Amino acid sequence: MDDSRPIFAQVAENIENDIISGALPEEGQVPSTNEFAAFYRINPATALKGVNVLVDEGILYKKRGIGMFVATGAQEQITGARRDKFSSEYVRPLLAEAEKLGINSTQLTQMIAKEAKNS
Amino acid sequence: MTSTIEVHNLTKRFGKLIAVNDVSFSVTENKIYGLLGRNGAGKTTLMQLLTGQEFATKGTISLFGQAPVENAKVLQNTCFIKESQRYPENFRPKDVFTTAPWFFANWDPKFAERLIADFRLPLNRPIKKLSRGQLSSIGVIVGLASRAPLTFFDEPYLGLDAVARHIFYDRLLEDYANHPRTVVLSTHLIDEVSNLLEHVLVIDDGKLIINEDAETLRNRATTVVGMKTAVDTFVGARKVLHRDGIGGLSSVTVAGLNESERRDAKAAGLELSPVSLQQLIIQLTSTDTKEFEVSA
Amino acid sequence: MTTTNPVLAHPASPLKRITNVTRLHFANPWTTLGLPWIILGVILAGTLTIWWLIYSALSSANREGALAGTEFGGSSFFIFVYMMVVAIQAISITFPFALGYGVTRRDYYLGSSLAFIILAVIYTTGLTILAAIEKATNGWGMGGSMFAPIYFGDSALGRAYVEFLLLLFFLFFGAAIAAVWVRWKASGVVAFFIVVGALLLGLIALVTFTDSWFAVGDTLVRLGVLGVASWSLVITAISAISGFFLLRGATPRNAA
Repeated sequence: MDDSRPIFAQVAENIENDIISGALPEEGQVPSTNEFAAFYRINPATALKGVNVLVDEGILYKKRGIGMFVATGAQEQITGARRDKFSSEYVRPLLAEAEKLGINSTQLTQMIAKEAKNS
Repeated sequence: MTSTIEVHNLTKRFGKLIAVNDVSFSVTENKIYGLLGRNGAGKTTLMQLLTGQEFATKGTISLFGQAPVENAKVLQNTCFIKESQRYPENFRPKDVFTTAPWFFANWDPKFAERLIADFRLPLNRPIKKLSRGQLSSIGVIVGLASRAPLTFFDEPYLGLDAVARHIFYDRLLEDYANHPRTVVLSTHLIDEVSNLLEHVLVIDDGKLIINEDAETLRNRATTVVGMKTAVDTFVGARKVLHRDGIGGLSSVTVAGLNESERRDAKAAGLELSPVSLQQLIIQLTSTDTKEFEVSA
Repeated sequence: MTTTNPVLAHPASPLKRITNVTRLHFANPWTTLGLPWIILGVILAGTLTIWWLIYSALSSANREGALAGTEFGGSSFFIFVYMMVVAIQAISITFPFALGYGVTRRDYYLGSSLAFIILAVIYTTGLTILAAIEKATNGWGMGGSMFAPIYFGDSALGRAYVEFLLLLFFLFFGAAIAAVWVRWKASGVVAFFIVVGALLLGLIALVTFTDSWFAVGDTLVRLGVLGVASWSLVITAISAISGFFLLRGATPRNAA
C-alpha cells in the first residue's frame, strides 16, 4: 500500500491483478472483506470500498449468505479496460521520455522490435 | 447511522490554560476514529472529558444519547485505556484480568488469554517489577478483550516496541472486523495507524482543526517536485499547502491531483511524490516534524 | 431523545456495581488484610517476648500478678490507628484505577464504604477471638492482658462493640482524608489538618472558657465506654458523608 493513490483503489487493482493472473478464477470465491482488511492491514471499511468498486463494475458479485465471487467474463472485462488505458498510461509517457532523450520514433520502433525478439 | 458521541462547544480550562477550546463533533457508531495531534494538544483531556473523568468548563457531551458524567449506564459501555494507568499496590497482571471482567459485560476470556500469550505477559509477576512494555500491554489487552461498545485508546502502546505495536494493530483490526464497535485511537505516531483509521480528528492547541473521512484526507495532497520554473508553471494558481526547495529544485505540495493532471505533470517532466497522512497533518498544523517521529 | 440507544439496555444492577467495587478492594488483599495482621502478629510476638523476659526473670513466688496492669497497656491500639492508613491507601490507589474501569464516583464510594465495614467486622472478629484465646490460656500462660484492655470494659460483647465502632471511626476518618488527598493533594491534606486542628482547639477553648471540664468529665463517666463509642458514630458518619461529597469532585488527573 503506497500513499500515492487511494487505498481502496489499490485494493481493487490488486484484486483485478489476481483475476487476470488466474489466482482468483472466474466463478470462484474471493476472500471476505475482513480477510482483505487483515491481509492488507487496512480498515475494513476501506477494503469494502475497494470490493464495492469491483461489484459496481460487474467484476465481482455477491451470493447472499455465502460471499463474493468473480463474475464470468471478468478477466476479459479487466483486460479490455486496461487495453483501452494502455495508450495513455504507458505509450504516451514512453514517447515523452524518448523525446527527452532525443530518441526518434524510428529508433524507438527498432528498440521495441529488438526487445520483443529477446524476451 | 447512530451517533455514539455528540460534542457541542466543549471547553475545558485549567486555570489560565485552555486545554480544549470550543470543540464540536460527532462520532458515528462502529467506526475506527483517529484522534491525532501533538503532545499536549488536548487529546487526553478530551478523552477524559468524554468518559466523565474530567468535568467540562462549558459545552455538552453525550454518549449513546446521554451525558456520561456519573452515569453508570453509559460508562459501563465504555473502556478508557490510558498509557499512564496506575495499578493497585501489589497487583499482578493476573489480578487485573480477574477483576476487569466484573466491569465489562462483553469481556472475552479466551481472547484475553490469546493476547496474553501474544504479548508474552508474565501473569504472576508484581506489576511494580514489569518492564514498561509489559505494563503497556496490560492496558492494551484490557482494552481489546473488554469488547466495550465504545473503546478509547489513549496512546497506550507508547511503551510497546515496534513488534508489539503491530501485534496490537493486527489484533485490533481483526477483532474490530469480527466484533464491530466504536474505537477512538489517539496517537502522535500517525503513519503507523494511518491505514487503520476510517475517520480522522485532528486537535491542535485545544482546537479541532480537521474532522474528515480518512480516505478523503489521505488524497488531499500531492507533492510536485522538479525544476522551479516547471513546477511553478504547473502549480499555477492552485492552493499551495507547503513549499520547499533547494537550489533550482522546488517541491510544492498542492491539493490532490486527478489522473489526467497527474499525467500532465509527468509529461512536463515533474515528479509526483505522495503525501502521507502524517506529513499532511504536519503541514496543516505547521508543526515541527520531530514531534511526530517514532519515539520508540 | 425518543428511544434510548439499544447499547444502554441491560445495565448491571446498582447493587452489583457497588459490590464489584467492594470485591475490587479484596482482589489482592495484601494491604487491607495481609500487612495489618502481620504487624499485629509482630507486636504480639514482641509483647509476649517482653512478658516472658519479665516472667522468667522473677522467681515463681513473685510471678503471680507480675503482669497485672498490662490491661492498662495499649499495644493493641496500634491496629485501630493503622486502619486509617489502610483506608487512605485503599482509596488513593484504587480510585483512579476504578474510574478507569468506568465506575462512577458514587458507586465507588459506596462500594468502598461497604468494604470498610466488612474490614471492621473481620478485625473485630479477629480481636475478639484473640481475646478469647488470651482468656482461655490465662493471659498467654503469664497472666498478661493485651487484647482485653480495661478501657474497653469487661464483657466480650461490649469490647467487640467498642472495637467495631472504633475501627469504623478510623476507617472513615481515613477515607475522608483520602478523599481530600485525591481531590487536592498535599496542600489539601495540610489545609484539612489545619482546619481539624483549629476545630479541636476551638472546642478545647470553648470548654475551658465556660469552665465545663467537670461537666465533660462527668458526661464521659456517665456515658461509659459504650456510650462514648456510640457517640463516635456521629463523627464517623460526618467523615463518611464528607468523603462522599469530596470525592464527587475529584478527578484522576489530580490523583495520578
